[in-house]
Amino acid sequence: MNVRRTDWQDLLFGLFLITVAGIALVATRNLSGGTAADMGPGYMPRAIAIALLAFGLWFGIRGISRPFLGIAPVLARPLLAITASVAVFALTASRLGLALSSFAAILIASLATREARPVETVLFALALSAAAVLLFIKVLALPVPIWPR
Amino acid sequence: MELLDNLLMGLSTALQLHNLLFCLIGVVIGTAIGVLPGIGPIPAVALLLPFTFGLSPPSAMIMLAGIFYGAQYGGSTTAILVNVPGETSSVVTCLDGHEMAKQGKAGTALAIAAIASFFAGTVATLVIAVLSLPLAALALKFTAVEYFSLLVLGLIAAVVLAHGSVAKSLAMVLLGILLGLVGIDVSSGAPRMTFGVAEISDGLDFVPVAMGMFGLAEIIANLERPAMTRVVSQSIRSLIPSRADLRAAFPAMLRGTLLGSVLGVLPGGGAALPPFSSYALEKKLARDPSRFGKGAIEGVAGPEAANNAGAQTSFIPLLTLGIPANALMALMIGALMMQGIQPGPQIMREQPELVWGVIASMWVGNLMLLVINLPLIGLWVSMLKIPYRLLFPAIVLFCCIGTFGIANNLFNVWLMLGCALVGYFFIKVGVEPAPLLFGLVLGPQLEENFRRAMLLADGDLSVFLRRPISATLLAIVAMLFLLMVFPTIRRSRQDALAE
Repeated sequence: MNVRRTDWQDLLFGLFLITVAGIALVATRNLSGGTAADMGPGYMPRAIAIALLAFGLWFGIRGISRPFLGIAPVLARPLLAITASVAVFALTASRLGLALSSFAAILIASLATREARPVETVLFALALSAAAVLLFIKVLALPVPIWPR
Repeated sequence: MELLDNLLMGLSTALQLHNLLFCLIGVVIGTAIGVLPGIGPIPAVALLLPFTFGLSPPSAMIMLAGIFYGAQYGGSTTAILVNVPGETSSVVTCLDGHEMAKQGKAGTALAIAAIASFFAGTVATLVIAVLSLPLAALALKFTAVEYFSLLVLGLIAAVVLAHGSVAKSLAMVLLGILLGLVGIDVSSGAPRMTFGVAEISDGLDFVPVAMGMFGLAEIIANLERPAMTRVVSQSIRSLIPSRADLRAAFPAMLRGTLLGSVLGVLPGGGAALPPFSSYALEKKLARDPSRFGKGAIEGVAGPEAANNAGAQTSFIPLLTLGIPANALMALMIGALMMQGIQPGPQIMREQPELVWGVIASMWVGNLMLLVINLPLIGLWVSMLKIPYRLLFPAIVLFCCIGTFGIANNLFNVWLMLGCALVGYFFIKVGVEPAPLLFGLVLGPQLEENFRRAMLLADGDLSVFLRRPISATLLAIVAMLFLLMVFPTIRRSRQDALAE
């Protein structure tokens, strides 16, 4: 009998913490630490990064030695659609203007579910981007163009 | 009669016409958020933060507070009518509230829930007013040493009392503190962990972080679950509870209010603990416990009262000491900082109008909620018919525009996207993101006070134990840790939090 091991939730979280701690230690390597009585800018970040490293190692080791616990499968569709929607908004908002950018963001976001109905989605996107322009630019005076420049 | 003077001053702030308006906007949005399952008050508050910049600090806080306690009201409506908790805090209300609705007593359940909430809200407002004075007096004695210990206590208590694994939450707090240190170091001017990105030299904005982790990540995770079809079938006949109903509900309401008021003050107690504890208490006290789960009116009145009382008293640590009791209060601290107000023990002395205005506005807001919820119940029920497939693209868009609006730069939108992906990872590995938010908001103050305390004490760590107030606070921290080690207490904590 081969008993499956590895608590993947713990292991992945541990690896994540180790990575973050590593990045922080590298990023702060040139900052002076100072003494406890007169701390430099590097003192606290380094202390916390080392604590995170310890936590990461502990979770990682615990994860390997614990009985099997999997991770719920990742569905690509919602993840990709929402990511793409936000990214498209961030890329286009200042150039294409809020109206087109919002319209595109809503269309892409609604691809995240199979339930979306094409006609309804387009109409809804039109209405919502119009509402967003009215609310954010006309009422709240957000400094973005409405249309492409 | 300092208390009366303060309350009157608060009322005069809260009753200004524009503040009444912002309070109304807050509670209406809050109720809507509460009614809709799938959107919590945290992303809602984060979303509305950019709009509050133009307002005066009291108006901004009054509106944001209204969203929070309004959401507690709205959550119960969904719980009773659809058997789906609109908010985590209304999980318990589903049990007996929906059972009452099935028996044709939906109107009574809704009315009792609203009345219990109003009663609890009113009492809790008084509790806040009474407790604030001695706490603020204590706070005057605080130096950097005491404040550091207090911050440690706030962070640790929030971790111990919240859901999930304590070790993971501790790691998340540290992660949050680390993120909070990003930016230019105030005392030396050296940029730290900015990777040459100019936009984060003032530190990471917490709004994109909160919106990414609580808003977008939740949406992605929600979409992975099979779609629920919600049926609202119950018709609401009479909203007026009978005298017998009121008599049965009143003692439960009173106990729930007391329990909720106490638990709400504890950091991390926040939303889930008071209603669960109240339900357990009512069941224990009832002559016939078997009625519970089958439409017992005490099972609605007690938890609803506890829920609202807790939601309101969780403002006490924020308003008097500048310590957040839950993730939402951490957002409120962020809102204060964006208004240029440093939260902390000095806040009551320096901003009496703000503090007492917010306290008084809670009572006003509760009155508004009673009016908004009962006669307009049909409106909220029809909101439940909006399908999620339309709701979530709208939230995504408003998150994008909202984060852009905080500083008018698109970097924050990218930051939000990054945080959404990290937040999604946290959901997958079963880690709660709330402690990270605590760390992020409190991290800079923690460092500053630690550095100042160490400078005063010439690097001697024992200073934290030599000062009596600081030593007491740290003793409580040690006690909390000890409690976690004892298995019996750990088990009862799990029982209390088990859903």
